[in-house]
Amino acid sequence: MFEFFFKYSAYVYDKGEFVFAAGWPAIVATVVLAVAAVPAILRYSGVRGKSSQLDRLVLLTTRLCILSIILVLLLQPSLAVSTAVPQENFVGIILDDSQSMQLADYGDEKLAPRSDFIHEFFGNDNSKLMMALNERFKLRFFRFSDSATRLENLNELSYSGGQTRVGPALDFAHQELAAVPLSGLILVTDGADNSIDGLSASLQSLRANSIPVFPVGVGMERFNRDIELASVEAPTTVLAGSQVSADVVIDHKGFSGETVLLLVEGPDGIVGTQEVELPNQGDSTVAKAQFTATQEGPHLYNFRIAVQDGEMVSKNNQRDILIVVQDRQDKVLYVEGEPTNRTGFLRNFAIDDDPNLLLGVFMRMAENKFWRAGFESAEELAAGFPTTREELFQYKALIVGSFEADFFTTDQRQMIHDFVSQRGGSFLMLGGRNAFGEGGWQNTPVAEILPVELVPPFANKADPFYVDVFVTPTLFGRTHPVTQMADTLELSLQHWQTLPPLGIVNQVGKVKPGAVSVLEGKTANDETHVVLAYQRFGRGKALAFTPVNQWYWQMAFEIPLEDLTHETLWQQIFRWLVNEVPGQVTASTVLDRFAPGAPVTVTAGVLDDNFIEINNAAVTAIVTSPSGQTRGLELDWTIDTDGEYTATFIPDEEGFHQIHVWAERSGEALGEDIAHVEIAELSTEAFAAERRTALLERLAQETGGRLYSPENVASLPDDLRVSEGGTTVLEVKDLWDLPLIFMLLVALVGTEWSYRKFRGLA
Amino acid sequence: MELWRSKSFLVVAVLLGGASLARDLPNLPRDTAPAEEVLGQAYGGYIGDRNFVINRGNGLHEFYFTRAIYSSWSRGYGRRGRGSWATDWPKADVQFLWGLKRLTNIDAYDFDNPVTLDNPDLRRYPFLYMLEVGAMQLTPPEVEGLRDYLTAGGFLFVDDFWGTYEWQVFEHEIYRVLPNYEIVELPLDHPLFSNFYVIEEILQVPNVGNGRSGYGTWEQDGYVPHVRAIFDDDGRLLVLINWNTDLGDAWEWAEDPWYPLAYSNFAYQMAVNAIIYAMSH
Repeated sequence: MFEFFFKYSAYVYDKGEFVFAAGWPAIVATVVLAVAAVPAILRYSGVRGKSSQLDRLVLLTTRLCILSIILVLLLQPSLAVSTAVPQENFVGIILDDSQSMQLADYGDEKLAPRSDFIHEFFGNDNSKLMMALNERFKLRFFRFSDSATRLENLNELSYSGGQTRVGPALDFAHQELAAVPLSGLILVTDGADNSIDGLSASLQSLRANSIPVFPVGVGMERFNRDIELASVEAPTTVLAGSQVSADVVIDHKGFSGETVLLLVEGPDGIVGTQEVELPNQGDSTVAKAQFTATQEGPHLYNFRIAVQDGEMVSKNNQRDILIVVQDRQDKVLYVEGEPTNRTGFLRNFAIDDDPNLLLGVFMRMAENKFWRAGFESAEELAAGFPTTREELFQYKALIVGSFEADFFTTDQRQMIHDFVSQRGGSFLMLGGRNAFGEGGWQNTPVAEILPVELVPPFANKADPFYVDVFVTPTLFGRTHPVTQMADTLELSLQHWQTLPPLGIVNQVGKVKPGAVSVLEGKTANDETHVVLAYQRFGRGKALAFTPVNQWYWQMAFEIPLEDLTHETLWQQIFRWLVNEVPGQVTASTVLDRFAPGAPVTVTAGVLDDNFIEINNAAVTAIVTSPSGQTRGLELDWTIDTDGEYTATFIPDEEGFHQIHVWAERSGEALGEDIAHVEIAELSTEAFAAERRTALLERLAQETGGRLYSPENVASLPDDLRVSEGGTTVLEVKDLWDLPLIFMLLVALVGTEWSYRKFRGLA
Repeated sequence: MELWRSKSFLVVAVLLGGASLARDLPNLPRDTAPAEEVLGQAYGGYIGDRNFVINRGNGLHEFYFTRAIYSSWSRGYGRRGRGSWATDWPKADVQFLWGLKRLTNIDAYDFDNPVTLDNPDLRRYPFLYMLEVGAMQLTPPEVEGLRDYLTAGGFLFVDDFWGTYEWQVFEHEIYRVLPNYEIVELPLDHPLFSNFYVIEEILQVPNVGNGRSGYGTWEQDGYVPHVRAIFDDDGRLLVLINWNTDLGDAWEWAEDPWYPLAYSNFAYQMAVNAIIYAMSH
């Protein structure tokens, strides 16, 4: 439509500069206009008769407009634009060769694969598009998916690439054509970039060299019916026996209000199911999948929803997540200020014989009389609560029961704070007559890390605070792994309703902003009290658990003897405490899966005994392939980041690789860690496979190009001519013969004539 | 325990023959009221020198010295007519608690806490004290109540029963409660004997009469004190059995200048150790 009125496309106007070819100075043009306009003004002003002042004004205005247009035309309006010299310039045509191009959503019926567009328009030299391009440019073809190469023949396209990496593709074509005059790059793709590469550097380079990109977007922008597991977030490492909670983001189109079944399959078969009702409003929902990880080692857990009728894409209904189930033993320090029943019940029923937890108990029985049990050696904490960070930081979690703040020195209280913020450990305060505000913990560094506000205790010690509360998960807590007491969420919630009340003797304040309440308690008067809350603080996390007699869920008359609520809750709390608490050495890779032949970078974080980053450690790694072959790596400090060391290798085999990292300094071992990575063909092409118009728009705008679709790609050759890239000449295009101007003149003359007729002035 | 009752037991044992008192006891005279009625009599009122009123208010405490009210064929000593469960009650309980709170920092309820074995509320108190179990004759609800209490996580401290006959009575009854469990001798190197006080010798604690008089510490044919135990399959201590000894009297008469201090010391040490052990294991 634009071209119909304006003769040239908007892109040409955007690239061109408006000029007057007649060359008259502006003052001359103004004088001519005035000379022509004055007689008309005088004539219309002097005329009387049947005309009114309004009539004369309207007629004068139309006449002056006509005169102005004629004058403008006499000035020869033109558009000066740089155009490519025919056959002097090159154009790179980059074709998407990834798996997403096989999706069948092209054509009038939306049933043909996207690749058909490529063959229809670029695979046939006799197509209008190719003829127009060949007439003006020298064409060079490239293909890209996870890597880019030259393309001699379109028959080489296989549409089997496992990844779409747009940035490296543009860089490759730019480099290949760096030595020749380049008018631009045509990029034919759906834009479904699923790499971790950025685009900014590539676009900046192209812009600096005045090389525009002309993306041609193929594929539907929005599917009619499709369900996609957009992402799955789960812990990367867990202790064996841990309850795992995974956040599954589900996108859908066309399934509003329908219920689907989410399955989780592990090494032992189906480990979890969850019914998910897809929302009416908006496209995404987050489902919580719960399961128990039992088998040790790196395992792929498959999350999937069965393909529903009419879905556009079937392969995006499932995702595999690598979870490493570790059979390690984590040290936890539990200190109690007085003998409590929960100590015995916790040790005996909940943690007894747990091979993954080493619970050291330090309990005060009387003034200056302590009892220790569960430590690795008889000397551990023989002198009392740790007095150095090195001593305290060896534990993954610290639990403080009914212990008043005054028992600890100022430095010890600060150490507890640093245990969470700096070391990344987990802290749990339990309820008791000497806990929270009742224990004087307000105004200490520990109060800062706690997820609840502390209030001063009741002044009347003869009538201490005490309430019985019925405990239930909060709205957030319902899907938290700690609160799962049954195989399904519904059964779990029902179970919570059957539990007898517990006692709280601490009057804690509200949950802090940013902290999360997982369990709450309601009294018979419907008052609400915090039961279990947590917050992330620094590198670690802190929890508050207020009931003093949670063991009652083991003993209560209403609770069947075979019930495992007490044990389950404690086991899940403990695993939550120790999971993902870092050691002095941590090993990781940016992804848990790489394509064969892709380089894998191992990153190690190294801390000293006080968990402070060190830059002069000797860090080595041994990579063990699935066949058992090993290779050694030396990791070097990155310089940019304290305590961070990296090394890169290219795996030879497919399958799970183990990367065992050690760190030492001056002959003293600092620690070790193991990471796992899977080498396999990536299958991300089916995800987010709709045409990414926004990304393609960005490519065009930031490089001075233009975005096309199959419907308007015919104008691409003409726009390429004026792209400013390559060898160009300045071309002046006449604008005096614009259809719009002719139509405007006719309209003005017709308006004057019609007005005269209407007013009887003709 | 007064002399005349000890003699009565000896007579009964001779008449019936000790060997016949195996697991299936013959019908013994039963002249006690059901435990619930006894409880009704025990609460409130004037008992002995003080007016003890059960007070379950005053907040929530970590430890309650809970005394088991059970059915017996004897009215017991110390609190006539209420059953053997009430022997030494409530003075022994309260005086023990005074000592416990002075010696440790346990948050203990100040008063006695008698509860019947078939009361659901029993489950609120993980520590349970029973004595004079040589006269025990549990009803089926009491058997079930005590069994469930112990298997759910409770701990039973048994005290003050003497001689072969009373052992057999107790053994019969406890095997009704825990039929598949074994009673074993608790060795002195067990952690219970060293977790608070280091106990190197098991003393025989006499009743108040014997203690004051100094004429021997035993009763009936209970010449040697024993500390025995019942463990579950996971090694948890369910029942601690103090046989041929009377720790309760030692607490009850600890302030009596004629009652030897050594016995009271030992009695407090044993109980403190047992309570600390039960709370931490």
